[in-house]
Amino acid sequence: MNPAPTSASLLSIRRLSKRFGALRALDAIDAEFSGGEIHAILGENGAGKSTLMHVLAGLLRPDSGECRIDDQAIRLGSARAARSAGIGMVHQHFALVDALTVAENLALSLTPDADWRFDAVAVGEKACAFAAQVGLEIAPPSAIVRDLPVGARQRLEILKALAGAGRVLILDEPTAVLTPPEVRLLFAMLQQVRAQGRLVLFITHKLREVKEVADRVSIMRHGRVVGTYRAAEVSESQLAELMVGKLEVSPHIRRPPHAGATVAMQARELSMRDHRGVVALDNVSVTVRRGEILGIAGVDGNGQRELFAVLAGLATPESGQIEVGGKSLSALAPRVLRQVGVGYIPPDRHREGLVLAMSVAENLLLHRNVLRRFQRHGLLQRPAARRWAAALMQQFRIKAASLDAPLRSLSGGNQQRVIVARELSQPLAVLVTSNPTRGLDLAATRAVADALRAAAADGCAIVLISTDLDEVFDLSDSIRVLYRGRLSDAVKPPVDAERLGLLMAGIQAGKEPCNA
Amino acid sequence: MQRLINRVLPSLLALIGALVVSGLAIALSGSSPLLAFEALLDGAFGSLDGLSEVAVKSCPLLLTGLAVAVSFQAGIWNIGAEGQLLMGALAIAVIGSRATWLPQPIGLPLALGASATFGALWAGIAAQLKLRRQVNEVISTIMLNFIALGLLSYLVQGPLMEAGGRYPQSDALSPEFLMPRLSPYRIHLGLLLALFLAAAMQVFLYRSVAGYEIRATGLSPEAARLAGIDVRRRLLLALLLSGALAGLAGGIEVSAITRRLYERLSPGWGFTAIAVGLLGRLSPVGVVAAAFLFGAMDAGSNAMQRVAGVSSVLVSIIQATVIFFLVAFERRTWFSKISAEPD
Repeated sequence: MNPAPTSASLLSIRRLSKRFGALRALDAIDAEFSGGEIHAILGENGAGKSTLMHVLAGLLRPDSGECRIDDQAIRLGSARAARSAGIGMVHQHFALVDALTVAENLALSLTPDADWRFDAVAVGEKACAFAAQVGLEIAPPSAIVRDLPVGARQRLEILKALAGAGRVLILDEPTAVLTPPEVRLLFAMLQQVRAQGRLVLFITHKLREVKEVADRVSIMRHGRVVGTYRAAEVSESQLAELMVGKLEVSPHIRRPPHAGATVAMQARELSMRDHRGVVALDNVSVTVRRGEILGIAGVDGNGQRELFAVLAGLATPESGQIEVGGKSLSALAPRVLRQVGVGYIPPDRHREGLVLAMSVAENLLLHRNVLRRFQRHGLLQRPAARRWAAALMQQFRIKAASLDAPLRSLSGGNQQRVIVARELSQPLAVLVTSNPTRGLDLAATRAVADALRAAAADGCAIVLISTDLDEVFDLSDSIRVLYRGRLSDAVKPPVDAERLGLLMAGIQAGKEPCNA
Repeated sequence: MQRLINRVLPSLLALIGALVVSGLAIALSGSSPLLAFEALLDGAFGSLDGLSEVAVKSCPLLLTGLAVAVSFQAGIWNIGAEGQLLMGALAIAVIGSRATWLPQPIGLPLALGASATFGALWAGIAAQLKLRRQVNEVISTIMLNFIALGLLSYLVQGPLMEAGGRYPQSDALSPEFLMPRLSPYRIHLGLLLALFLAAAMQVFLYRSVAGYEIRATGLSPEAARLAGIDVRRRLLLALLLSGALAGLAGGIEVSAITRRLYERLSPGWGFTAIAVGLLGRLSPVGVVAAAFLFGAMDAGSNAMQRVAGVSSVLVSIIQATVIFFLVAFERRTWFSKISAEPD
């Protein structure tokens, strides 16, 4: 596992840094990439992969550092400069106009700026010729993009990127949206592109793909490149360890599994597809007992959003059912789940957890059961509700100018405390949380974690869906891993980071990767 | 106090901006802005008759403004107050010229109730389209305006045309259905009803649980839903209330002022109502103030034309400019939310 030697480089990066507030997204990165290679950029979410690629594509201006192509410095922070230097990027969310035809979508990249005419037939012919030249198979030029399968749309995006640029092709998690046959097709295509001397930068957090298609791999962690290796010379478990990092202390399971406690919530065989029609949850069953904190770890985008949405009744699964307290529910809606004592700390607090334009007091009331409690003849009992809200503010140390301060004026940590205070103020059988401490400072993180532990000690069952391994280790009584919409069995102690990393990458010990 | 200033300031600035722009327009057309504004004020507030007319013009704006406020607060862009108003007018015209056997203390409230119901049902069509078929309510309510206008036009030229058959208008309402006026002026009891409803809406939106849920739904539907609020029912309630208020505006207008149905019954109150609602920052108290302001402009505009020689259309320019300035002063405007809406 020796670092790969750097050959004559096509693209080189020197001491590239970018901060977002207190977060060092890129921390003085150096890297060399050569033409004719497929280079994987591997890392967890938040490791800085996307930031780096956005800087290369000119979509973000770095704070310092430089990029060179063929030893020519590129003007940074300009998408136009990046394109004319030969860098093209395919985003995870396609930038195609769905209602237009293939030719119309390609027109911008294929016709010279000076030409104001649009000749669909000519553009179509040009597109086909170019596609043949680079060895890509595309849909007929007159087809409407909306009607094309995802793989075909992606090929169109790749063609667009190659037509406009041509030296460097950046792909942001291209396989996340594809079916397995489409993935094989994509890889074959990337090999074609490589054969023409171009550089392919391939962002992924899937170890198997690195081994399958990449020549070299750079691993990113916390805004740094922690190593560059030849893909053939490094094993998947080594990659996993590099990706998640070695934990100093072996994580401990605080209490034995709550085998004897009564089951608080049981979700059986949940399956659903996301808006693309790709399977997001695949036969997921979750059982959580009184007083237990069940950590569900996993790399973001493996079904976390969907699992939370289904457990909250925000999305209807294709199949499966949920029981709370041994009773199956009449309907899967937040209203019904609230009624039987399920609380939520949603992944996006601004969107789902709070009403930013309302006051602190009004946000503390944002809960069906609370509203019911303070309702008399249809009117809100304001004095009683305000006394109650003031008490909560004190108990959970919410720092705000007053009860009437707009929630928008609070810091992120205090906003999250409002949610936690509100949810824990009600008798809770189950609390479903998703990344409850994301983006919080240390004090707020601790306050939230302490509140969760206290709730569990009081008998509340907690489902902790989190992409933050530290958080999962710190809080959970048992840990399961979500990968590609499938939930692993509980990981038996002692749990170490490497095994968890492998599970998060879809590799189970002694088994074939479950996404094969 | 500070909060009050923050809430009122954008509306005041918009108003001042609109007055400056329209003043410039007057000056450009060769008249004196000061003289025009003075005549406008004098026309509205210079006499008891003027004051009565301010009340008369304000009444439909107040009710339709409330209609706009309650639906916009729920995040529903009801552009159809005009159509709902016309349906309310239609309801009372049909009942009021036929059910003459009812005594006034029963007949009038009943007929006004019918107006509110018709308005609510007309808005209910848009609500059902939105909730069941995800049809954007902006489109459907605008279309329903045209349908209501077309229906009205057909009825007053056909089935509902007056017995004499000379003009495209319905028979006059029988006296049992006329709103009591304070003779010799045109000011009528409907204004009190409208003010009472404004107070009721203020309590409903800011003191009741359903009102809270409507506001939460409008500001953040996802958060409201996760809180266990029945978002669909709240949207339906807000739109039905909105339609009922607009329908009532039509009913009161026919019963108190026009006393019969004809095509050009409304000078576009349902549209001006959007400016009234926005100027009033979608709060019932604010809507009352905005409605009286716009009502005063309407009432004074004739005097302005007579005395200062400035066309009464200028008032429309002021009212329209108010919206432009409001949109400009609001960082996150209600209008930008329309286009940001996913469905």
